[in-house]
Amino acid sequence: MENYKYLIVGGGAAGTSAAETIREKDATGTVAIISDEVHPLYSRVMLSKPNFFLGKIPFDQIWMKGADWYKTNKIIFLGGRTVTALDAQKKIVTLDDGKRLGYEKLLIATGVRTRPWNVPGADKKGIFSLRTLEDGQKIMEAIKTAKKAVTIGGGFIGFEMADLMHLAGLDTTMILREDYFWQPTLDEASGKMIENALIKNGIKVLKNAEVTEVVGNENVSGVILKDGAKLDCDIIIVGIGVVPPNLNFVKNAGIETKNAIIANEFLETNIADIWTAGDIAEYKDLLLEENVQLGNWVNAREQGRVAGLNMVASNSGNVGTKTSFKFVSFYTTQGVGISIAFVGDVRPLPDRTIILRGSPESGSYERILVDAKGELVGATMINRTGDMSTISKLIENNVDITTHTTDLGDANFDLKNLLTKQ
Amino acid sequence: MANTKDYARSKEGSNIAKIVVDRDLCIGAASCIAVSGETYELDGENKVVVTNANEIDDATLLMSAESCPTKAILLFDKDGKQIFPK
Repeated sequence: MENYKYLIVGGGAAGTSAAETIREKDATGTVAIISDEVHPLYSRVMLSKPNFFLGKIPFDQIWMKGADWYKTNKIIFLGGRTVTALDAQKKIVTLDDGKRLGYEKLLIATGVRTRPWNVPGADKKGIFSLRTLEDGQKIMEAIKTAKKAVTIGGGFIGFEMADLMHLAGLDTTMILREDYFWQPTLDEASGKMIENALIKNGIKVLKNAEVTEVVGNENVSGVILKDGAKLDCDIIIVGIGVVPPNLNFVKNAGIETKNAIIANEFLETNIADIWTAGDIAEYKDLLLEENVQLGNWVNAREQGRVAGLNMVASNSGNVGTKTSFKFVSFYTTQGVGISIAFVGDVRPLPDRTIILRGSPESGSYERILVDAKGELVGATMINRTGDMSTISKLIENNVDITTHTTDLGDANFDLKNLLTKQ
Repeated sequence: MANTKDYARSKEGSNIAKIVVDRDLCIGAASCIAVSGETYELDGENKVVVTNANEIDDATLLMSAESCPTKAILLFDKDGKQIFPK
């Protein structure tokens, strides 16, 4: 049986960042990455970006690590494999080919999977979701001949893919269940700005709409909506969120899970010598003081780094060397001439106050969320991403903004002034 | 012609003399800002600009470039040799 000092399940942003960090801190400890994909690390972020899809960015730009990187850093890459069992007592992982691997420190960073779309006819050809490089390549091939696209879902993937389909010259319709985009995270005014930008660019938007059936023979030829209307299409892109992968090996090993794998602020699970990071980690957020799960590249990379540091630090048995994960999260996207950004905690909870900055009419509109204690906790921005790094710092530094609410609401007031006042 | 923007760096003891942002590649994911909010911010086009090229040490600067999911940040040494991406 092969034994590794550090064993990492997952070859994405979190797992690779952990391996890189471990190698920086421990030059000789053996490291292996088990990945269900055969590729070295690539940019999952790039997969939904029009410039990449339309060939404006060279395809090879997608590779974040070459095969030589693993070799140079003595990181064993076991691609195309999944874990079927974990014995946390004996510290042994079993792979789908029956191979058994021993470990001293284990990181579970499997990422998540796309939520399946369960409507009658959803197995026809021409229906895609987007997670892997292969998914991206299939869509790139399909848009060469497709004429009419339908996108399902009103989130980031739906938004970016609708923009992409439209840029590729396809007649594009977006279908979302909600009354407006990102309901209820955004207010209706922000949602309307996004909708208007899409419509202005020739993309059709159907709200309060749901597909009840996909029609066609072998290939998709259209969809039936719940109001009975029929819409012709020859390609459907589904972006309706994510679900965890099969976590039976995690649960059977006694690791605590809820929506995902539960971890503390050091990204440790409840079982000794097992950490988790990235989209699959439901970790204790020190800024929010609750367990949260986030799915984005920046977050995954940073969590991988922190988990890697803690895996190495655990060797000495010195608790004082642990690093906690503290991070103001954000999401950004752009398309159809509009940029959208979420910073920090953007849930519009009842005890929160929302300060408006700019206006929908001016084309630049921000909502700053302040909690019951008077602390700035998050912001949503439409065409105002310039404020993002300052808002992020104000949240991180717990800057008291109670006496500055008027300033915050003044679109011409430079938020950086609040940082220097501390 | 690539749409790039150069930022000279003159930090004492640093091996990095220039930061280049490829604006065609930049998608405003802001991962660099997460690593170093002191160095970068997003402009009105949702692209990254360098606001202070001398604020952080070489290791953090390299980390910020490495964090970019589209490899839009390039680093050069004093002889004009590209350090990142390799």
